[in-house]
Amino acid sequence: MLKNFKHERLETNAGLLLVATMLSISVGGLVEIAPLFLIDDTMEKVDGVRPYTPLESRGRDIYIREGCYTCHSQMIRPFRDEALRYGHYSLAAESKYDHPFQWGSKRTGPDLARVGGKYSNEWQVQHLIQPKSVVPESVMPNYPWLMSPLDYADVGDRLRALRTTGVPYSLSQAEYDANVKQFGAEVAKTLHIPDAQKNLVAQAQEGNYDGDRAIVTEMDGLVAYLQVLGTMVDFSKYKPEDLVKYR
Amino acid sequence: MADSAQNQGVQTTGHVWDETLQEWNNPLPVWWTYSFYATIVFALVYWTFYPSWPFGKSFLPGMAQITYTNAQGQEESWHWNTRAKLLKETQEANAQQMPYYAKLMQTPFEQIGKDPELSSFVVSAGKVAFSDNCAACHQAGGAGKVGLFPNLADDDWIYGGSHEKIQETLVKGRRGYMPPFAEALDAAQIDALANYVLSLSGGQADAAKVATGKELFHSQTAACYYCHGDNAKGRQDVGAANLTDKVWLWADVPGAADAEGKLAAVKKVISGGMAKGVMPAWEGRLSPEQIKLLTVYVHELGGGK
Amino acid sequence: MAANSPAAAEQYNFDIVKKFLVMAIVWAVVGMLVGVYIASELAWPFLNFDSPYISFGRFRPVHTGAVIFGFGGSALFATSYYVVQRTCQTRLFAPGLATFTFWGWQAIIVLAALSYVTGYSQGREYAEMEWPIDILIEIVWIAYMAVYIGTLMMRKQPHIYVANWFYLSFILATALLHTFNNIAIPVSLFTLKSYSLFSGPQDAMTQWWYGHNAVGFFLTAAFLGMMYYFVPKHAGRPVYSYRLSIVHFWALSFMYMWVGTHHLHWTALPDWASTLGAAFSIMLLLPSWGGMINGIMTLSGAWDKLRTDPIMRFMILALSFYGMSTFEGPMMSLKDVNALSHYTDWTVGHVHSGALGWVAMISFGAMYHMIPKLWNTPMYSVKLINMHFWLATIGVLLYITAMWISGISQGLMWRAFDDFGNLQYSFVESVAAMHPFYAMRAIGGMFYLTGMVLMAYNCYMTIRQGVRAADTAGQTAPAAA
Repeated sequence: MLKNFKHERLETNAGLLLVATMLSISVGGLVEIAPLFLIDDTMEKVDGVRPYTPLESRGRDIYIREGCYTCHSQMIRPFRDEALRYGHYSLAAESKYDHPFQWGSKRTGPDLARVGGKYSNEWQVQHLIQPKSVVPESVMPNYPWLMSPLDYADVGDRLRALRTTGVPYSLSQAEYDANVKQFGAEVAKTLHIPDAQKNLVAQAQEGNYDGDRAIVTEMDGLVAYLQVLGTMVDFSKYKPEDLVKYR
Repeated sequence: MADSAQNQGVQTTGHVWDETLQEWNNPLPVWWTYSFYATIVFALVYWTFYPSWPFGKSFLPGMAQITYTNAQGQEESWHWNTRAKLLKETQEANAQQMPYYAKLMQTPFEQIGKDPELSSFVVSAGKVAFSDNCAACHQAGGAGKVGLFPNLADDDWIYGGSHEKIQETLVKGRRGYMPPFAEALDAAQIDALANYVLSLSGGQADAAKVATGKELFHSQTAACYYCHGDNAKGRQDVGAANLTDKVWLWADVPGAADAEGKLAAVKKVISGGMAKGVMPAWEGRLSPEQIKLLTVYVHELGGGK
Repeated sequence: MAANSPAAAEQYNFDIVKKFLVMAIVWAVVGMLVGVYIASELAWPFLNFDSPYISFGRFRPVHTGAVIFGFGGSALFATSYYVVQRTCQTRLFAPGLATFTFWGWQAIIVLAALSYVTGYSQGREYAEMEWPIDILIEIVWIAYMAVYIGTLMMRKQPHIYVANWFYLSFILATALLHTFNNIAIPVSLFTLKSYSLFSGPQDAMTQWWYGHNAVGFFLTAAFLGMMYYFVPKHAGRPVYSYRLSIVHFWALSFMYMWVGTHHLHWTALPDWASTLGAAFSIMLLLPSWGGMINGIMTLSGAWDKLRTDPIMRFMILALSFYGMSTFEGPMMSLKDVNALSHYTDWTVGHVHSGALGWVAMISFGAMYHMIPKLWNTPMYSVKLINMHFWLATIGVLLYITAMWISGISQGLMWRAFDDFGNLQYSFVESVAAMHPFYAMRAIGGMFYLTGMVLMAYNCYMTIRQGVRAADTAGQTAPAAA
């Protein structure tokens, strides 16, 4: 096999070795990553998936800051045991606004892909402050510092950065109108960057996630995020075989 | 052994680095070469079996097929994929469990306990469903948590302990609420009310204050009777607790060290009210079958009522 | 030996090698200490002490960063600078740039650790560094590339030695992976926070393309480069098969880049991509083993040294663990095995059998080999090297045994059905069942860390004695002249 080609040419020419190595390591990524953008079926066409509200988005930042993904996945696999334990398997479309994705790689704790609405806000708050008080077997750390005020001064900048990545938060009237068309007026309002701070406070007030309306805390943000996880798609609208055909 | 092989006619490449580094010109080990070919063959088979190479806007679907039943009840085949596999497996498992579920849904609540096999099924399915979904709040065995989540293992039910009521609670969820009285009543009035409430379940209380509290309880000023009832036994239709038994949920009376503490616990609830008590709705998250069997399971936790 | 003569020290730039080598030891101690700590947090959660800075989620990337990039990275810088000079018979190209890579790289590790504990993370495993640190990495890496390739170009030897092929592919691949995996949009120029450009399945694919090749090139190809120099050098024997080197080098370089998707089996990533990853993982088995065969066959014939030379023992054990984990990896990449192993401690055990068993052990061997040559003095204590060897061996065995048992039990408990076809265990039952194994893993880590501390002490004493001897020589030399 080596008769026709003398490997010596590569061994004696650093430039050639470099180019050949570069070529050999470039193929894999190209063939596996590029088609994910080209093949339409990669993202299932389902209704309901929307970008996070300003409060949820800040909550997601906290989820990432605390490294929740080091112990919790957000990816229900298509297995019967996971369907029984966690609910419908996760769709790619459900994380289409997730920059970065948080599918995780380890379940020291349970999957959180559909934790939204599973427990009351009170439980979430109690559990985050002191997990063992409600789940004695838990090995999760306490997060008492989440009761500190949420810094939302730069929430507009954050949404603007997300907008640059392609998340349809609106800046102009035209973008806003497009969002009304795509997500409905109620959602579109929450995606309007100029109103981000106002909307964030309003959602925290109304949702009263941490049980204290006086201040917007990090807990408000994180619980708002957790409570929306996996709740956007109404699976009763789809036949199981429809989702099969995207893969 | 390898040493002698190396020395039997095998040459080095003739290059020397860093004074001593050399390379033998040994051929590839035969077993290595053939094993490598074998893995390539394996890969080829794997690729023909499963969906594999992408091209254009699609990909090679693979030859393996999975047959499942579609929504119209017809058999349908699709190339192997993780979702088709789950659909088929779920349908098979459902078919296996169907007799139990059909029986569960047909049997009236009271009759389920009389069928030993069905009861075993309910316990088998209910145990883990309860632990994975309910125990986070209601704790193992439904013991609850004073101040947060009601005990399901006793005879005291805020919204009713009949099968029908438990099922309703599971399906629709609940939202408990008691208004705060800190502004409507003064400290003395709240103190009196707390004494009265404690006395209702035989707790230590000041007799004079109990009398004042009792009056307040039934007055239009505090109007406690409106939700908790004239006899203070609560009203399950609005989720108001029975105050005459020794079961406490919001006021941590059992956890208080002394009479002072017990009083303070009750006063805290009266003045601050209670806006927690949220039970999520499980309709949609759990199937009607799961809800029914959890209803039976929860009902049995307290020995049934 | 020429290597020990003052001429060798003048012939080559060893200063930069020494710096990186010392920091490799420092980061190994720090990184493993943090590792033992977070392992203990899982066994005894009170150790989180309600402090944001040391809570598991923030501390875990400190561990992975310190051991992979701090220890592993510094060991690779040290050995690659050492190897490239000696096998090219030339001093480093652009020594100033090389010094910059040292300070730059150390700054990266420190800044990354500080940013994690204070709550800045991109939230993608092993690539948690925020964008300014990513840019610094990019700059340092380009400098490294320049130094390394420049030195290769200046070689006085017509042929490029096999170790350098591996180091080169590691440097190129890391540049490629780091660049494309860290494309992110900063919130503003004055904050650390950023959001990755891709989302969902595309982001997952890119991240694991990076993530697995952090293993493939950073922790495998590069350490094979290390192996290809230090094993034949230390054994004083030629590399077993030149032809095997060629075939397994190219096969490994080409195939590793495909296998990242095996981290995403059964997820929302399309199945076609996961199939490619599984198949390439299987095909990667023999190319991976090529390195093990070449290493072990090179050592064979020098078996007698195994009884007396603990450095040889480190090398042979490293190669054995390399062989074992590169067998285990492809098995875990099969869709059906992965269905059981994914999300469990089995993966953690697999990574550590590679990291503690292969990467760290081969580095220990290389470092124990280099230190006497760099400081021109024998090791302070061979007995301590022996003790290190046994502590490390016991540690890694305890660790991976614990993780095998806990991982496989977790996987089986999650999917267990009873006779009625209902789930048999709740999730919390699986958590509770893990406790003894988490404790056992922490203890395994403690053994390993203890060995590492002995190494640090032994190296410190060796270096001190080397420096003192050099000082004395320096003082007497002028008098003699």
